[in-house]
Amino acid sequence: MSLSIFSVQLLTGLAYGMLYFMIAAGLTIILGVMNIVNLAHGTLFLLGSYMAFTFMNQQFSFWIALLLSVAVTAVIGIIIEKLFIRQIYGKELEQVLLTFGLAFVIADTAKWIWGTEPQTMAVPALLDSSISIGPMVFPFYRLFVVLIGCLLALLLWYFESKTRIGAIIRAGVDDRAMVSALGINVGVVFTGVFAFGAGLAALSGVLGGPLIGMYTGMESDILVTSLIVVVIGGLGSWKGSFIGAILIGLIETFGKIWFPSLSMLIVFLLMVVVLIIRPQGLFGREVA
Amino acid sequence: MKKNILIFIVFLLIAFVLPFVLSVYGIDLVSEIFIMAIFAMSLGLIMGYAGMVSLGHAGFFGIGAYTVALLGPHIPNSYLLLFFSICLSGLLALVTGAIFIRTSKFYFLMITLAFGQLLFALAWQLKQWTGGADGMKVSAPLNLGFGEIVSPIGIYSVMAAAFIIVYLLLRFFVESPVGKIVKGIMENEARMSALGYDVRIYKLLTYTFSGALAGFAGSLYGFYNLFVSPDVSSWMFSGQVMMMVIIGGVGTLIGPAIGAGLFIFLQNFISTYTERWPIIMGALLVILVLVGKGGIIHWFALLKSKIFYKKRKNSDDYAPQHVEKEEVVN
Amino acid sequence: MSILKVENINKSFKTLQVLQNVSLEVQPGERHVIIGPNGAGKTTLFNCITNVLPIDSGKIFLEGQEISNMPSSKLVHLGMSRTFQKNNLFGNLTVEENLHLALTATKRYRYQMFHALTKHIDLKKETDEILAQWEISTRRNVKVNNLSYGEQRLLEILLAMASKPKILLLDEPTSGMSPAETAQTAEMIQKLPRTVSILIIEHDMDVVFSIADRITVLHHGEVILSGTPEEVRNNEEVREIYFGGGAKAHA
Repeated sequence: MSLSIFSVQLLTGLAYGMLYFMIAAGLTIILGVMNIVNLAHGTLFLLGSYMAFTFMNQQFSFWIALLLSVAVTAVIGIIIEKLFIRQIYGKELEQVLLTFGLAFVIADTAKWIWGTEPQTMAVPALLDSSISIGPMVFPFYRLFVVLIGCLLALLLWYFESKTRIGAIIRAGVDDRAMVSALGINVGVVFTGVFAFGAGLAALSGVLGGPLIGMYTGMESDILVTSLIVVVIGGLGSWKGSFIGAILIGLIETFGKIWFPSLSMLIVFLLMVVVLIIRPQGLFGREVA
Repeated sequence: MKKNILIFIVFLLIAFVLPFVLSVYGIDLVSEIFIMAIFAMSLGLIMGYAGMVSLGHAGFFGIGAYTVALLGPHIPNSYLLLFFSICLSGLLALVTGAIFIRTSKFYFLMITLAFGQLLFALAWQLKQWTGGADGMKVSAPLNLGFGEIVSPIGIYSVMAAAFIIVYLLLRFFVESPVGKIVKGIMENEARMSALGYDVRIYKLLTYTFSGALAGFAGSLYGFYNLFVSPDVSSWMFSGQVMMMVIIGGVGTLIGPAIGAGLFIFLQNFISTYTERWPIIMGALLVILVLVGKGGIIHWFALLKSKIFYKKRKNSDDYAPQHVEKEEVVN
Repeated sequence: MSILKVENINKSFKTLQVLQNVSLEVQPGERHVIIGPNGAGKTTLFNCITNVLPIDSGKIFLEGQEISNMPSSKLVHLGMSRTFQKNNLFGNLTVEENLHLALTATKRYRYQMFHALTKHIDLKKETDEILAQWEISTRRNVKVNNLSYGEQRLLEILLAMASKPKILLLDEPTSGMSPAETAQTAEMIQKLPRTVSILIIEHDMDVVFSIADRITVLHHGEVILSGTPEEVRNNEEVREIYFGGGAKAHA
């Protein structure tokens, strides 16, 4: 593999990794704080992506479309949490099933509205060029996605370790009873966490649009990949998700070049290896 | 126990009479229900008797189906094909289970989901063998030693017999030491360990048995449908089977089978009117989760206890506590 | 040879040292009581002996065989069995089913998959014997959740006894009991055959002195004294630490 191909694949892998990080960060924190495996998380990604696509067709710019669809998806997240999930706090199997039902409803509604034809999204004009260093060419947009991912990681790190809300959420992951004992309104925290996760999923979906496009079944692919990221990284750990996501992004990208028909198998085997060595994930707590 | 035998005999009678009253389409549908009922019971076993919630059980179903599809042209013996399907899926359940079972509840759910989706992806990507997304035809005639079975009634009889055999096997299993012990583990794992049980072995035995049964269901599906596609392994299908289990009722053997019957019936019925079955199914699931009381089989129990409660009340007798609670709710 | 020997074990949770160089020995047939104020590390000691918690250092021997890192499920088969401070039973099962689960743990047919458990005659016989011996035959088909608290504590011990252990570890068998129930339980423990050695954590001093052959006093994770009841009763340090200045020693 020549240096030029290698370098651009490296960047692509990193960019995919950042997309996975964005969606997995929401998934892992919802799981960590609320004890819910949100199976509808992939469809929120899909929804964010499709909505931005529609907004752009209405002559909105990429950036406005990005903001709008993240905001709308976050609101949908609030509705889902308040209308459905709130009714069955503490019943874990029921919650899984509920999000599964919602996944069906949302995915099929998306199919109804946007059809089954694969769609593509244009790279925003501002970023539609590349930078070259010697024989290596780096598309701006992918650099941009990597940058956003790193910024998000920094932001989450700051949020978690330096702010009061972050401390509350961290306490919630470790000990839920503690949070309510402190007199904090757990309901508000849960709604916030769920909306935040939904927004992140949409962000990932929109930013992923120009790279991945939109197709039926994408929500399953993305859900499975982000679940694997969460498993590798450790439950409720943003740091773990970040590292896990980058690992998966790179392995998947290079796997597709070297073993096109076995890329999923390689990702899965990585997860199995991590699980054999550390059943609680790379950065999971001892008692998972 | 006598009551169970009575119900069983009634069921046998119904199964015997059905082909004479149903249309060919109906017979075909009930055959499919038998297959899905086996599949749902296999998942119901690990969910309701071992507390393991898997979203990857379709993976084993797919192994069974693809075993028949891929080996069918080379192995003419149906018994051998079924045997291979069961062994392969059981073996896979044993190996993967040994790794998965070490993890916590949510991890198990997520990992099994990924596992099912891996098999889905492999069926999709290994195009040269499986035909990829287009699926593949199954050219394996079902022959159990008395000629090739092609008629709907023939297929129906085989599936009904398979269902009865699996049901009896499961019944024996849950009454056996391993079945009782794994249920004890579901209730109080730490204590079972302190009593001297290696809990992982029991979970693994149950998981393996369940996986093998799912593979058996999958191979029957291969013979029945004569066509397989990657969808038989997808996590969506795993989720649908979980729906069947929940609709019917977790924690009973026959509940998941009833759930499978209702699900397949609804799916076929509603799909004739609208293409939007997934939306309706999703919505039904949401409603079931929010207002359902543990599935159909428990509704029967509830109804029964209510009738008895009224009778007893009249005779000024003691009423069980949980019934009183239900009265308050309503 | 002693039946159980604990040698210099240490255990800490993060920075908190819970057990510090704890050593003790239980002789065959002995009733060995561990006492000590709350937070002395008594239950942690049990959890370390049964490897529910891994120890940081030290060694544990059962009849001379090292068991320091053995999974707790295996210890039962070597003859060590325990109860829990809080009732740890199968609440939705009946008394009989609880006993079945406990008895089957050491049966050869515990890995059988398609033969009904209740068809094993020895199981039925042993269950009947236990129920008759402890005069609870009438409670056979009662769900454990519907038993009285005292009955549940009794069942807790019976489950641990089901494997016919050589040594039984009882974690506060009388906790939460009424005085009458406490006296009954003490009597029951005295009735257990001398073929089984007992290591027991107990708070109630009447119970302690009525059953103990030997007492080990634990304080802040350290063994203060291990001796006969007489020695413990007359030890100044123990009075100081444990009885709060000797105000309430049961002489």
